[in-house]
Parts: sequence; C-alpha cells; structure tokens
Amino acid sequence: MLGTRAGRTAALAWITATAVLMTGCGSSSDEEGDSAGPVTLTVGVFGDSFTPELYRAYEAAHPGVKIKEVRADYGTHHNNLQAHLTSGAGAADVELVEIGQISGYLGQSDKFVNFKDTGVDVAQWTEAKVAQASTSDGSRLIGLPTDTGGLAICYRTDLFEKAGLPTKPDEVSALFPTWEKYVEAGRTFLAAAPKGTVWFDAAGNLFNGILGNEAQTYYDSSGNVVAGQNPAVKKAWDLAVEAVKAGESAKLSAFSAEWNTGFQRGQFATVTCPAWMLGYIRTNAPKTEGKWDIATVPGGSGNWGGSFATVPTQGKHQKQAVELATWLTASEQAITIYKTLGNFPSAVRTWTSPEVADAKDAFFSDAPVGTIFPASLEKAPVQVYGPQWGIINTAFGNALTTVEKGTDPEKAWSKALKDVAAAAG
Amino acid sequence: MSRPPAHGELDVPFGVGPRPGRSGTGADRSPEGHASPREPSALRRFSRSGRGPSRRVRGGPGLATRLLLGLVIVMSAFPLYWSVVVASHDQAAISHYPPVVLPGPHLWEHVRTAFEQANFAKALWNSAVVCGVITLAVLLTSTLAGFAFARLRFRGRDAMLGFVVATMLVPTQLGVIPLYIMVTRWFGWANDLRAVILPAVVSAFGVFFMRQYLVTALPMELLEAARIDGASTLRIYRSVVLPVARPAAAVLGLLTFITAWNDLFWPLIVLNSENPTVQVAISSLAAGVTVDYSLTLTGAVIGTGPMLIVFLLLGRQIIGGIMQGAVKA
Amino acid sequence: MTPSAPAPPSVRPGGVPGRRAPALRGGRAPRQGSVLTPYALVSPFFLCFAVFSLFPLAFTGYVSLTGWNTRREGSEATFVGLENYRHLVADPDAWNALRNTIGIGMLSAVPQLLLALWIAHLLNGRLRGRLFVRMGVLVPYITSVASVAIIFNGLFARDFGPVNWLLGLAGCDPVDWHSGLLPSWTAVSVMVIWRWTGYNALIYLAAMQAIPPELYEAAAIDGAGGWRQFLHITIPSLRPTIIFTVIVSTIGSMQLFGEPYLFDLTRNANGGAAREYQTFVLYIYQQFWFNGRYGYASALAWALFLIIVVIVLVNLVLARRVRGED
Repeated sequence: MLGTRAGRTAALAWITATAVLMTGCGSSSDEEGDSAGPVTLTVGVFGDSFTPELYRAYEAAHPGVKIKEVRADYGTHHNNLQAHLTSGAGAADVELVEIGQISGYLGQSDKFVNFKDTGVDVAQWTEAKVAQASTSDGSRLIGLPTDTGGLAICYRTDLFEKAGLPTKPDEVSALFPTWEKYVEAGRTFLAAAPKGTVWFDAAGNLFNGILGNEAQTYYDSSGNVVAGQNPAVKKAWDLAVEAVKAGESAKLSAFSAEWNTGFQRGQFATVTCPAWMLGYIRTNAPKTEGKWDIATVPGGSGNWGGSFATVPTQGKHQKQAVELATWLTASEQAITIYKTLGNFPSAVRTWTSPEVADAKDAFFSDAPVGTIFPASLEKAPVQVYGPQWGIINTAFGNALTTVEKGTDPEKAWSKALKDVAAAAG
Repeated sequence: MSRPPAHGELDVPFGVGPRPGRSGTGADRSPEGHASPREPSALRRFSRSGRGPSRRVRGGPGLATRLLLGLVIVMSAFPLYWSVVVASHDQAAISHYPPVVLPGPHLWEHVRTAFEQANFAKALWNSAVVCGVITLAVLLTSTLAGFAFARLRFRGRDAMLGFVVATMLVPTQLGVIPLYIMVTRWFGWANDLRAVILPAVVSAFGVFFMRQYLVTALPMELLEAARIDGASTLRIYRSVVLPVARPAAAVLGLLTFITAWNDLFWPLIVLNSENPTVQVAISSLAAGVTVDYSLTLTGAVIGTGPMLIVFLLLGRQIIGGIMQGAVKA
Repeated sequence: MTPSAPAPPSVRPGGVPGRRAPALRGGRAPRQGSVLTPYALVSPFFLCFAVFSLFPLAFTGYVSLTGWNTRREGSEATFVGLENYRHLVADPDAWNALRNTIGIGMLSAVPQLLLALWIAHLLNGRLRGRLFVRMGVLVPYITSVASVAIIFNGLFARDFGPVNWLLGLAGCDPVDWHSGLLPSWTAVSVMVIWRWTGYNALIYLAAMQAIPPELYEAAAIDGAGGWRQFLHITIPSLRPTIIFTVIVSTIGSMQLFGEPYLFDLTRNANGGAAREYQTFVLYIYQQFWFNGRYGYASALAWALFLIIVVIVLVNLVLARRVRGED
C-alpha cells in the first residue's frame, strides 16, 4: 500500500518536490546548453514532411546537433504554435506552417526569424511562392517553402473498369475537363458503380479542389474577407452541394480513421489529389497498390496546400535552427523528400531535374507524377490568403459536412457565413 | 485543488452530513489504525468483505440476480476486451463484417510501433513521475492541513474549512487561460512536466477527506499525551498523526493517482508529443497523420494497462476508498 | 512512521464527532510551537491553491473584460468592458453549447444513476466472489477518458462499427453516430454512463449497507416483498446519498470535455460538423485554443462558473429541504 511508512513518505515528498523543481524532471534541462555544447533542435510538423533519414543525415554532418520531431494533427499543430507565440514559450525550433495558415502569422512577423537577413538563396522558389510568406511590404520573409500541393485526380482503375468507365489516364482526364463535367462523370459512374462505392470521399475535399484553381477565395487582394460575396466560392459550394445531392459523396470525415478505412475498402472511386495526398494514400492503404492511377485535375491546374518552414524567435538556438530550416528546404533535400514521400518540391529549379521530371510512381500504376504536378502548378494562379483563412476554410468544410448529413444547403451556407463572421470578429 | 477535477473527484458527500447511528465508526480505532474487534471501522468493513447487515434479511441472490450481474460485468469489460482484439489485428480488421471477436497475432508488433511512433516509453515514465509526485504532494498537503483542521484550534478555522469545501465546487479548469499564460510566459514551463505537476499538488477534496477521517480517527488523548511529553507539533504530526492517517492516506493516494493518470485537458494544453504524458501520447496517436485504428487502440491498451495492474493489485483498497468516501463525513 | 517514535499507547479515543473536540492550546503544553503553527500546517494548501486556482480564476475575470485575440496584434490590453458578455448573450453557438451540455448531462446522468441504483441493489446481498464482482463493475472507472473515447469511436463507427453491425442484425439501418442530435448525444452519453455507473453503484452500495437491518426485518414481518422493501426502505434511506451523486454528476456533466472532444474525428473542437455535441467547456476550448479569442473565452468561462454556482446552490437548497424532512 502506498501509505505504509507515512513519515518517510512525507519526507520523500518534500525531497521529490524539491528535486522536480530543481531539475524540471530532466525534460527541459537539455535546452540550456551553451552554443558550443550539444544542441537538441525540435522540428514541429503536422504531417510527413521530412524523414528520419534526413534528420540523421543532418546530424551526421553536424556533430553536436540532435534533431527531434514534434508531431500533432493539422489543427492542433497550428493552434499550439499560435498559443506558444502568444505565451512566448514552447514552440519548436523549426515550425512548419501550412499555406492556409501562414498569413495568420504574417501579422506577428516579429515573432519569427526574418529569412531576408539570413542569406538564404530565395531564387530557388518562384517570387509568388516567396511572396506568400512575406509581409506585404516585402521586408520580412518568415517561412521557407517546403512542398507545394499541385492538384490532380487520383482514381481507382479497378472501380472505373467495373463501372464501365475508361481506365487510361488520358481518357479519364478527357472525362472531366471541368469540375462540372467531373460531377457529371460521377453520375455516370454511380449508374453502374459496384455496390458500396461512390464517386468521391468528402464534399469538403471536392470544395477545396475546386477552389484550388481560384486566385481569390476568402480574401481579396487588399486583405478583406469576401468569402460571402465571392462568386467563385459560391460556385464551388453549389457544385459540391449538387454532387452531394446526386449521392456522389462517401460522406467521410477527411483525415479520420474512417476516411482511411474508406481508402482501404475502396468506398470511393476518385479523390482530389494534391501531391502530398499520394503519401497519405500510400501509408494508409498500402494494400491498394497498383489499383490507382492519376488523371489531370479538372480545369487543368490548381494548388491545395503546401508548407513553409519557420523559425520562431523565442527559440534558444536560432542560429542552428535557421541553418537546419535552410538545409531542410534546400533543393537537394526537396528532391530527396519527393523521392521518399511524394511531396512535390516548391523549388522550381528542381522540376526540370531528371530526378523529378522523369519520376513515375509505382504505387499509382507508374503514373508520370514528374510531369503531372508541374503541369498543374505552372498554370495555377497565385492565391491570396489572409489571417483567418484556415478557420474560414474549416467553417465551410463543416457546413458542407452538415449538408452531407442532410441539412438544407441554404441553411448550411448561411451558418457557414455566420461562422466566418464570428471568426473574423 | 487546481487539477481540473475529474468527474467524481468530489466524492465527499458534503450534502450528506453525519448520519445518526454511523458517526462513531472511526472512533473505535486504535492509533495504529487497527479497528477494535467489536466494531470494525467503516474502512475495514467495506474494504474487507462488506458485511452488509441487510443481507441477513434478504438472503442469497437468485439466479436472475447472478445472471444480471454477469451481464453487467460483461458490459463493463467488453469495450476493453474489444480494444485488445482490434489492437491485435492489422488495421484492415476494423472494417471486417461481421466484426472480429477473437484476439489476433499483431498485438506485440503494434505495441512496438506505438512505442516508436508516439514516444510511449517517455510517456509512461513521465506519467509515473507526474502522478507519483502529485500523489505524494497531495498526501502531504492534505494530511498537514487535514490534521490542523481536525485537531487544532485556531482563529478562522471553521471559515477556512468552509472555504476549502466551497472550492471543491469551483471548476478550476475555467482558470485555464491565465494558468496557461502563467506557467508558460512567466515560469517558462512550456512542454515541461512542472507545468502539469505544480497546479495539481493540492486538492481540496484531499484536505477535506483527511480532515473528516482524522476528526474521528485521531484520539485527542493521544495528542495530549504527546504534548505533555513535550513533543512539538511537527513531531506530533510525524509520529502520531501520520501513522493514524495511514489507511485513509492509502485510499486518497490511490484515487489521486488514478485521477492524475487519466487527466487529459490540461496536459494536452501544456505538453507536446515530444514530452507527453500517457494520455497525451494516446491522443496524439489517435490524431496522427496516418490514423491506424489498431495502432490507436494499442495506445489505449498501453495507457490502460498500468492502471489495470494497479487495479488488480489494489482493487480492494480502491473499492474500499470509494465506498468509504460515500459513508464518511 | 519514524522508527524512533514511541509506540503510541492504546487509549480509548475521545474525539467523537458531533461533540466538539477539545482544543490544544498553547497554555496547556508549554513547549508547543507558536500560535502560528496551525497556519503553517494549512499554508501549503492555501498557498498553492491561491497561486494555481484562485489567481487564475480572478485573472480570467479580468481577461474577460479585454478584447484579447491572439490573431490581432496589440489586442492584449484593450479594455472593452462588458462587450464580451453582451456578445455571449447574443451568441447562438454559446446557447447551443449550453443546450448540448444540459441535454447530454440529462441523457447521461439519469440512466447512469438509475442503473447504478439497480446494480447496487443487485450487489447488496450475499455473493460469492464479491470482490471480483465489484472490481468487474468498477473497471470502467480506471479507464481514461482518452481510451474510452477512442474505443467507443470504434464501436460507434458509421460504416464498420460493431454497434451498427448489431443494429443491422436486428434489421435496423446503420446510424451515423457522429451527427444528428439524438445519435451523437446518445453516443457521448453512453461513454459517460459506461465510465461512471459502477463508481456510483459502489457509493450507493455503501449507503445501502449502512441501512439498519431492523428496518428490513420489520418490513418483512409486515409482509413487504423485495420490491416494496426497495421502494419504501432502501430508496428513502438513500436519499442523501442520491442527492450527493446528483450534485456530483451535475457538476461533472457541466464540465464535460474529453468525451465530446475526442469523439469528433476532425478534432477541431467543433463537436460535430453542426456543433451537435459541442459542450460548453468544449466551446470555451475552441474559442481559446483554436480561435485565439482569449477575451471571449474568458467571458464564457466566467459564465459557466456562474451557471455552476447557481446549479449547486439550487441543489444545496433542495438537499437541505430533503434533509429537513427527515
């Protein structure tokens, strides 16, 4: 029993309590090393962005540096970062920020290292890409681009065949030159679909895909929230609603366990596929290898997602962190990541390198990913983001989910706008 | 008490009050905490074999009762059993129709993966440290204050005790925003176990629980005798109060440990996956990039395992403690 | 216990509750510490409590009067008076969260306590393997909220969950437990019920065993059967305990967080796409952690505090009245 020898217990309590206060349980003591000593750098991520092999390679080249990865899901990761910025402590040395979130942090750019001063080679990326992580006057750059989310459509060749649809990428791409045609093709598929299969995974993901080819979505170029007035948003919404009403959605909650099950069981025939989605599918549904292929995205181009590596100034090892972030985002590493994870590099100069341009993905029936994604990105517009972009996007995603569950679309739309107003307020 | 009080932490029946006919229970206790043979203490009665008086009237349970109880136990245990089943299959098994009902071969492999992916080794160690320190600290602060409230007279005592009882009603997790600012911005304890430990080192429930126990179990004469021998208050605390408090301290310690082990809200805010407690590790497994359901449930199994072991070893005391809490006071 | 300490003499105790214990005064034992000693003994508790509970609570009150939003630079110290509270009263999401909290609270507390009463009744008899049975009933209590939520998420999965499979066997359509008020409330409530019923059953059992057997004997002589004994002796004798568990369950359900938070697969603290099971604490958490609206979240926190105080006061008044009747 815990209570035996109570006297000693009490003494032990004091000793332990004191010890804990002094040492912090050993958890933070390694943060205090001077710059000469061994340094542990933390990298905060929300997905598979870097690989353990990369970290080990960096450690090997930089004796005295150890790298630890801090993981959380997308929402938690960004909320934690915000809270850590607010409280001034707790952020990782290198923090990944997603494109939909980066402008939210631009307003607090003084809390991040300005990469304009670090001598990083910004010519690796397009100006537009760099601009997304820069303050409006261009004086500060808070994030280095990692990957980018060029769009495509991944589809199940086996299900297409059973439904009597063509299976070759060219023919499939020809099925849906526009998003309207994509929804129409869904109807054709459903008419002869194998039991238990529908056209796509979730309305929210379709919505994101449609908006991926729009320059302006929730913000105009002067930074005002225009989500409710922008016809492009309403058009994407209406199309997604139409698809839901036609029964094309598997109504799965994206990035959840059930969504993964959907991949494994083949509950849907197509999915909007930013480059980083390939890695998701590969890890979540390994047994579907060879059943997938990749077609051109409706509209021919688009972008969804992609990230930046930032260095919060609250970190104790800024110099080393900047060095690490610069290395992790450099073109050579971007190519390595591309080859192992499938995340498509932001660095344009890599696109022409044979390692990227000639790449085929065996998991996806040897699809020529090295040409699909650059093609999609080259024509993609430069998108405008704003501070609450992520929250607004979540609000629309939630509203579409309620439509999938049977809520009247009109009501769901006005509820989404209310949530947007509340978030902006 | 600043740990967000879990549901049921307040199991002191403040609304119940001393019931006639039962108030003398603890008084028959000798200082070592042994019950006198004539009337066993409430603690012993319920932790032993609960000789409820009523059974003499009602007689043994019928077959129906036994079957129903069996059903209740099956319902209680099934979710845990099912989690082991799913954790021991590969992740495709979750979507099998009809569902799998027997354990598969992959449990060990999943446990290893969980340990690699979610930092479970560190999480288990962290949780052990956090819960151990919290438990010891709560016991210490509770016995000290409980002793003072039970057996010392001082100005403002009743008001202060009333205050302690009242604070049990305050959902302290509502102070979470300043608490967060405080421990991270002011103390610099982000991702630091101290941020989880310190706010939980006192428990109003613990103070009240110990006070209620000591007020009946700690004989006045013993204190007087010690005083006449010239013992200081601290000495009395050490050599008289603590030994007497032992049985109650044991159950308080167990309940505190369980509550601390299972706490999620606050650790989720101040810790990250690099330095997690078990609950944070479980929830980060469930929210990972690749949500592998059997792996997630493996996390739940790992997190529950140590508690199950504690429960199997000390279930008698835990049950005694809960029932004790219900009758005491 | 220090080995050198003298074995305490075995004396008959004098401190009988109900009679005020004689105090230890400095005058009676000259070598006792100063009058400050008692304060020193209670000081660790009050010190820690002040720093980690009282101060944050008061500070929350202050923050609730500011427009602090982490996504707006310089909003930290902007005093906005009662603006947040005005906003709160007109915020449909706050009312929605309150409704969900009360709804889920009722849906979980009532069956939970009734079930507990029934199980306690079953347990209150001569049983072989008594300890085993009690432990079996209590197993859910030691399972963490995180584990419970994860497990039940699987059990309640829409497409391949065992619960829907069973429903299918019974000829029912599968239910989407993550949406719609009734299904989602039921699912969340089931988690709460599963975790806490055994615990409450043991509390009731303890109280049942304290009922003097003479009452049952007398009733048996009067020819009252088991059920009538239960209704007319057990329940009335248990009234104070029942009130106690009702209060505790009420406070617990007002603070419900972990179950609904983890039940939502998207983890954005929205409590379902249409906020079907977003409880009040979950809403506070969302405003605080996800939307960075520290000022508004603090106002919500204080509102919840006031609501709980009111509920507890009402409960206490009721409890006093019941006790007065006895």
